[in-house]
Amino acid sequence: MINHPLTATTEWARRVFFAAVFIALSPALANADNLGLKNWSEVVAEAKGGTVNWFMWGGADNINQYVSDWVGGELKKRYGITLHRVGINDTAEAVNIVLGEKQAGIIDNGTVDLIWINGGNFRTMKQGKLLYCGYLDLLRNNNLINWQDASVANDFGLPVDGCEVPWNRAQFAFAYDQARTPNPPRSIADLIKWVKENPGQFTYPAATDFNGSVFIRHVFYYAAGGPEKLLGDFDQAKFDAIAPKAWVILNNMKPYLWREGKTYPNAIATLAQLYANKEVALYFDYDPAIFGINVENGTFPATTRSYGLEDGTIGNTNYVAIPFNSPNKAAAMVTANLLLSFDAQYEKAKPAVWGTAPAIDLSKLDAGNKAAFKNLPRNPAVIAPEELARHALPELHPDWISAIEKGWQENVAK
Amino acid sequence: MSLTHPSNSEKGLSTLLRLSVAVLVVWLILPLVPLAVWSVSRSWYFPDLLPAEYSLRAWKYSLSETSGVPGALGLTSAIALCTTLISVLIGVPAGRALGLYRFKGKAVVELLVLAPTIVPGIAAALGLHVVFLKLGLAGSVAGVIIVHLIPTLPYMILVMAGVFANYNPATEAQARSLGATALKTFWYVTLPAVLPGLLIGSLFAFLVSWSQYILTLLIGGGRVITLPLLLFNFASTGRNDITGAIGMIYILPGILILLIGGRHLTGRSRATGTLGQI
Repeated sequence: MINHPLTATTEWARRVFFAAVFIALSPALANADNLGLKNWSEVVAEAKGGTVNWFMWGGADNINQYVSDWVGGELKKRYGITLHRVGINDTAEAVNIVLGEKQAGIIDNGTVDLIWINGGNFRTMKQGKLLYCGYLDLLRNNNLINWQDASVANDFGLPVDGCEVPWNRAQFAFAYDQARTPNPPRSIADLIKWVKENPGQFTYPAATDFNGSVFIRHVFYYAAGGPEKLLGDFDQAKFDAIAPKAWVILNNMKPYLWREGKTYPNAIATLAQLYANKEVALYFDYDPAIFGINVENGTFPATTRSYGLEDGTIGNTNYVAIPFNSPNKAAAMVTANLLLSFDAQYEKAKPAVWGTAPAIDLSKLDAGNKAAFKNLPRNPAVIAPEELARHALPELHPDWISAIEKGWQENVAK
Repeated sequence: MSLTHPSNSEKGLSTLLRLSVAVLVVWLILPLVPLAVWSVSRSWYFPDLLPAEYSLRAWKYSLSETSGVPGALGLTSAIALCTTLISVLIGVPAGRALGLYRFKGKAVVELLVLAPTIVPGIAAALGLHVVFLKLGLAGSVAGVIIVHLIPTLPYMILVMAGVFANYNPATEAQARSLGATALKTFWYVTLPAVLPGLLIGSLFAFLVSWSQYILTLLIGGGRVITLPLLLFNFASTGRNDITGAIGMIYILPGILILLIGGRHLTGRSRATGTLGQI
């Protein structure tokens, strides 16, 4: 406990704080009680005949097909659940729907049953008490998750606390065309040199883009001499000490960027287009599976290869979460459980389907299933997840990320 | 109705006509060509003039149940038709009142009717969202139709007000004095006279409703999936092949309506002719 004496005012403030927390939490607690599900078979029985409205980013036909056809088909076949995939452009759209419903007092008949989510959107929902939590122990496949792994138990530095279920893992990687660029830069230090030697051949999306922001964080880690100092809660003094160094690096890079850095792509899709059209030599993405998907669908040249950085690249886990006001919580739980199953994770790992890395701990599988994962073919454009994982860097707390994004706008973009 | 052109100006007119048709075709059709080519391409890299590889995959996906496009096509049409119908029901009487009569506060009413074209619809829709949630209209097709009326009504009412401003209600009185019932008067006198304007207004209303993105997203809450929503999913991620295929499907009704309704849009169709026969 706190070992310095508390003054009367702080004691009072504490009481108010706890009262506020209690009031804020009580609807969620009441919800969990109302559901009254004690074990897995009760969840399955309750879920039968339900419909799950799953809101997820809908910009990849292969992911849409996996979710609608494979997941939807299995849910119907195994549990009699109807899956309704709702494609959105930005996860924030789903978060706003739930937020709007909460403001309008809709506490048990919301629109959204499941959201594909992580990072800032998870923070918004968790802090806004917009999530249904505490059901993970009921899920049969929860034992396939390694909750001891800090990168699974924390979503961008924020503890998961039983409020979401891991679905995929992703780790940032670079892609290049080996026919055009035989020796791409393999560390941030190399990249800084390479950009100067190859003017106009590199650019990155603005910090407003998810992938642009993570690239800037890699430069930030480099300026800080590693991520260690940046972990944990946001610290203004630390930020002020490191940020100017990062802005100098990025500003020095500017004249050598695509279009002399006068403009930055506004989205990762634009960078993909520039790379596909051979206007720039390097592409990067938080999910290396996209390199294979883009080669597969003809967007990227077949000679595309990918790699991680020698000083490591940032990795994250992405999740599915159930909003507090979902009217089909049991069916959503069954869906989340199915997504975690070996069958679902294995199907999704196939390069022709999606090729994304599993969120489950493969060491917890039996020998046969383990071997199945090991023997999966991989698109040559996609770097092996094990190889990437050898140099994995943690994500920062969302407050750090916001500060870096804001700093980039003010110091580099203008 | 017979229009006789003086023969000397006919030649000049037809050259001008041909030129304007050519410009129109280039302006309207040319931007659609890359869209069509994208929809059947597999790899198309700059600066190649044509794709390196062709594929029907984008079409296969777009026409599949999984993509949701066929269902969305039906739903978008139904919403646009209902919105148009309601716009007509409100817009014709409102346009008649504004076009024919002087009344107190007319300027204010005109300003209010115009307001949705001046104030972005999103501003109103954000506030409406909470109201619709409370009324249980959010996430329903009915809610989406109602919210589409915000941008469609001004067009309908303004077009109809313009039509009625040039309309002589004395013809109705004439018909009534000759023994026509109110319904017959409307059917044989009023409707033919205002039909061209009504069609133009309806066309506007249909296309405005058809192309709504943000209002549908906000009020539909993801439960009402129209074509623009699916189109934006792929347009925003740079999937040009699927964007092309859905885009081609998306422009179909516009072209159909233009082809069917086109002859009524000249303003010289049978409406005036019918009046002449009376």
